[in-house]
Amino acid sequence: MSPQHPLCRAIEPDLLSVAMGEAGPTAVARVEAHVAACRLCREELGHYRALEGMLDTLRRAPLGEDDATLARAQLASRLADLRSRMVGFGIFPSPLGRILIARSEQGVALVQYLPADGSLPAHVRRLLGDDAVEDRAATEALRAELVEYLEGRRARLDWPLDLRRMRSDFQRRVLEATAALPYGAITSYAGIAARIGAPSAVRPVAQALRWNPLPIVIPCHRVIGSSGALTGYAGRHVDLKQRLLAVEGVKTVAARHDFTIDREAMYTMVTGEREYCVPTCGSLLSEPLSRLTLFGTRERAEAAGFEPCTTCRPDLHPLPA
Amino acid sequence: MVKVMAEDAFEAVVAAHHAEIRRYLLRITARGGDADDLSQETFLRAFRAYRALPPGANVRAWLFAIATNLGRNHFRAQGRRRRAYTAAALEMAADAPDRADGQVLADETRARMERVITGLPPKQRLAFIMRKMHELDYTEIGASLSCSEESARAHVFQALRKIRRDLAGQFSLGTESRS
Repeated sequence: MSPQHPLCRAIEPDLLSVAMGEAGPTAVARVEAHVAACRLCREELGHYRALEGMLDTLRRAPLGEDDATLARAQLASRLADLRSRMVGFGIFPSPLGRILIARSEQGVALVQYLPADGSLPAHVRRLLGDDAVEDRAATEALRAELVEYLEGRRARLDWPLDLRRMRSDFQRRVLEATAALPYGAITSYAGIAARIGAPSAVRPVAQALRWNPLPIVIPCHRVIGSSGALTGYAGRHVDLKQRLLAVEGVKTVAARHDFTIDREAMYTMVTGEREYCVPTCGSLLSEPLSRLTLFGTRERAEAAGFEPCTTCRPDLHPLPA
Repeated sequence: MVKVMAEDAFEAVVAAHHAEIRRYLLRITARGGDADDLSQETFLRAFRAYRALPPGANVRAWLFAIATNLGRNHFRAQGRRRRAYTAAALEMAADAPDRADGQVLADETRARMERVITGLPPKQRLAFIMRKMHELDYTEIGASLSCSEESARAHVFQALRKIRRDLAGQFSLGTESRS
């Protein structure tokens, strides 16, 4: 079928190039000279040109475009879903060590303390998910605010939060109650249990806080043991809890492997009331911590919207600084 | 509020290329019904990787490369099944509804051409469709198929030769008149 002469075989690739309109001027000249003398190759060039024409028709033929709109809409919905699950994260040094912040389209999804050795622990990778991408630019503003917070120059982190990494509805309730604790305020695990209407669930509350995906932002450091011991934080980092509380004006005393607050040095109020007192007002010192909210300073109590008690007058008789 | 993703930029990518990538996948799957899934997967992958794409990159060629890889994985996974429904698709094409007389010959030629293209070895078929249906250049095709520009050209030429051989009879009317 195709020409068998060696010259014809040699010219064949150029002939295809010419038929397809891809050939350079030298090849065009070569092919023109050849087909002027060779009828078979002239016909062959004609065939390939005819084929080009047929391919052009095929290229323009309709191809199920009717369904394209539907396909596009389906893609849009899957992309929206993917987008809402994806997080961008940044890892930063901070006064409390390396910290990872991750955010999704919905809001801040994770704040995690990282080990100093530069690794990314398995539980953090799991929380990040498969679609996490490093995006320092997207988390830079958050980092700046967090550092201000840790240095005591900012009392609020008004961040939109993505709470889809909660382990259960119970954990969500615990963390919501914890998030409601004002800056500089302290209560106990039992106090949180009481606030969510599950007063016997003290250990589950502690567990829920242990897996807080957003420490600092959801201030689980403000929740301590009933004895006044800070008890636990971020694995074995109760020292970080002590430093966060110190920033908020809460003084602690070092104890064996832990720190304790001094209830007699803290302004005290019965949770749910509007007035704060000196701790010696009435029978406050004998109340269990679970019923109380404590503040290290008057300024914190008043910034949280509370008023001095009209009986013990903490405004006239403040605790020694 | 800071935006996590360069959403608007990717919206523009979808708007510019989705229809064409879907047509490409319809062609390489011989309209076997998987093109919608594959084109969705192409764009989901692209979305994940988009931020890492250097500025000024050839987005269209990059999308073709993703679609081509997904297509090839798909062919490998489908194996025999693919051939089975390719045959079914071709039967459907043969059962095309009545057309005006002048259209019949063109439709027959087209169906026959599609059949030859579907029967090509995968790399030749993909290279041919990218070149002749979507007009990608050989560098872009080579990048999609992880081969050199020269191999990409060789695949296309080989495909052309086969199609031309198979359609030999169709040229009887179209050749130049002999002087």
